[in-house]
Amino acid sequence: MYGAYEYGFQLENDELFVSVEKKGGFLKYSRYLKQKEESVEKILASDTGRIIVNPIEPINLPKEVTKYLEIEFEPVVVEPDSHRKIYIKFPIEIGVFATTKKSINILDIFSLNNPKYSLYGPPYSGVICRWYKSEVFPDIPKTDMLKEGVIELHLHNLTGEWVEIKRVVFESYGMKIYYGDFVSMVANMRILSKVVAETSFVNRPIKKGMKKSLELHTARRIPVVERMGFLMEWGLK
Amino acid sequence: MDILNTAIYGDITVWDVLIVTATFALAFVIAKVVTINLKKILSDKVKKDVLEIILKIVNWGIVIIAIIAVLPQLNIDLSGLLVAGGFAGLIIGFATQSVVANLVSGLFLMIERPIKIGDQVSIEGVSGFVEDIHIFSTIIRTYDGIYIRIPNEKVFTSNITNYVANVARRFEYTIGIRYADDADRAIEIIKKVIDTHPFALKNPSPTVFVDSLGESSVDISVKIWAPSAVWYDVKMDLLWKIKVELEKNGIEIPFPQRVIWFGDKGGVKVESGKDIPT
Repeated sequence: MYGAYEYGFQLENDELFVSVEKKGGFLKYSRYLKQKEESVEKILASDTGRIIVNPIEPINLPKEVTKYLEIEFEPVVVEPDSHRKIYIKFPIEIGVFATTKKSINILDIFSLNNPKYSLYGPPYSGVICRWYKSEVFPDIPKTDMLKEGVIELHLHNLTGEWVEIKRVVFESYGMKIYYGDFVSMVANMRILSKVVAETSFVNRPIKKGMKKSLELHTARRIPVVERMGFLMEWGLK
Repeated sequence: MDILNTAIYGDITVWDVLIVTATFALAFVIAKVVTINLKKILSDKVKKDVLEIILKIVNWGIVIIAIIAVLPQLNIDLSGLLVAGGFAGLIIGFATQSVVANLVSGLFLMIERPIKIGDQVSIEGVSGFVEDIHIFSTIIRTYDGIYIRIPNEKVFTSNITNYVANVARRFEYTIGIRYADDADRAIEIIKKVIDTHPFALKNPSPTVFVDSLGESSVDISVKIWAPSAVWYDVKMDLLWKIKVELEKNGIEIPFPQRVIWFGDKGGVKVESGKDIPT
C-alpha cells in the first residue's frame, strides 16, 4: 500500500480505495473509506508527477490543532539508573503527496482510526495532544500497518529512584517514521525525576531496510527548530 | 540651477528640500518593498501576530533612520533638539496627552501581550476577533463582521476577557429528561456520545451527573473540555448528537408539565398526558 506510484493506479482493500486515473478528460484523484463512507475527489492538473502514499505524523485529523502526540499505557515501573526497551503502538494517519522533481504537495490525509484529543498539563500552560491508548509489549507487536505503527521506546531512568510512568508525550514535528513490513519509529524517554522526562525521536527504523516516510511538516516547509525534544514537565502518570 | 540654490529658509535651499523629499520618498518605497518581501518570506514561517509586529518595527525603523539621515541636510542639530526637547516635550505632552497615552498603552500591549491577532476576546463589552493591534488602537471584528476600533488606552485599562488564551476551555449543557426515564442509562449514553467526538478532551475528562430535580424534568449537567481553537464547533456539534442518541434509546426531553387540581372535595386531578376523569 505505501510507496510511490505513477499516474494511473488503483489501490483497494476491504477498507479503502485510492486511485489516480483519467476520468472525463481529467486526471482525477479519488479516495473512499468504506467504513466511514467518506470520499474525496480532486482534479490533478499535472502530466509528469508521481504520487507517494505513506504514513505521516498523526496530528492532522479531523483538523490540525496541535503538534503533540500522547500515548497512554499500563503503568510501567522503571528501576533506578537503568535502561529498558519497550514497544508501544501509535495511530497512523496516511498522507497522499503529489510530487514533481522540484516540489512536493500534500493532496490528501486520511485515517482508518477515530482520533481523540487530550490535554497534557493545566489549561493555562499545558498542551493539547492527539491521544492514543496502547498496550506495552516486550517485543515488536503485530499491527495492521494501515491503522497502527510501533514505537521502540527506550526508557532511560537517570534518577536514583523507582519511577512509575503511564504516558509519553512527543512533539510530532521531530517524528521519523519508517515503513516496511510494519510502520516504525524509535524514541527515547529520558526520565529526569519522578515527574519530569524528556522525549525525542531517533532517526532510524526499528529494523534495517525500512523506507523513510515523507514527513508532512517537512513537505510543508515549516521550519523545524532543532530541539532536543519535548520536556514532559506535567507528570508521567 | 540658480533655482536649486535659492534659499527658502535660512541656509536651507530648494536643493536641500528636494534631497529631503527624495530621501523620504525613497525611505517609504524601501520600507514598503522590504515589508512586502518580508511578509512573503515569513508568512508561512512566523505566527501572524508576531509577523505584524516585525513588519511594523522594520517599517518604522527604516522611516526613523531616514529622518535621522536627512536632519543635517536641514541644518537641524540633534544636540540642540535634545536641549529643546525637554521643554517641547512638555508642551507636546500636554497637547497630545491622549495620543501619547494611546501610544504608550499600545507599546505596553505589545510587550505584555494579553491579546494576540486572531484571538477571540471581549473588551469593554465588545466581543469578537482581534483583527490588528496598531500603535494607537486595536481593531476588533465582531462576530457579525462589524469593524470596531478601540483606542489602546481603553484596551489597556479595561478588563480583557480572552477566550482562547488558555489551550483548553470548558463548556456545559443542562439536559432535562423525563422522570420516568432511567437517568443512569441517559448518563451512559451521553458519555458514549462525548467519547466518540475527537475534540471532546479525554483529559480533563467530561463530567455528566444528575444536577437537579426540576419542575418538569430530571436535569443532567454535562461539562466538557475542548481545545480553545475549536470549542464552539464542538459545542454546536455535540448537543444535537446527544439529543438524537437519547431519543434513539427511548429517552425523551420533556415539555414543561403542570398538575392541576379542581375542587376541594373529591376533586378532579388533571395531569399531563392522562385522560380527564368524568
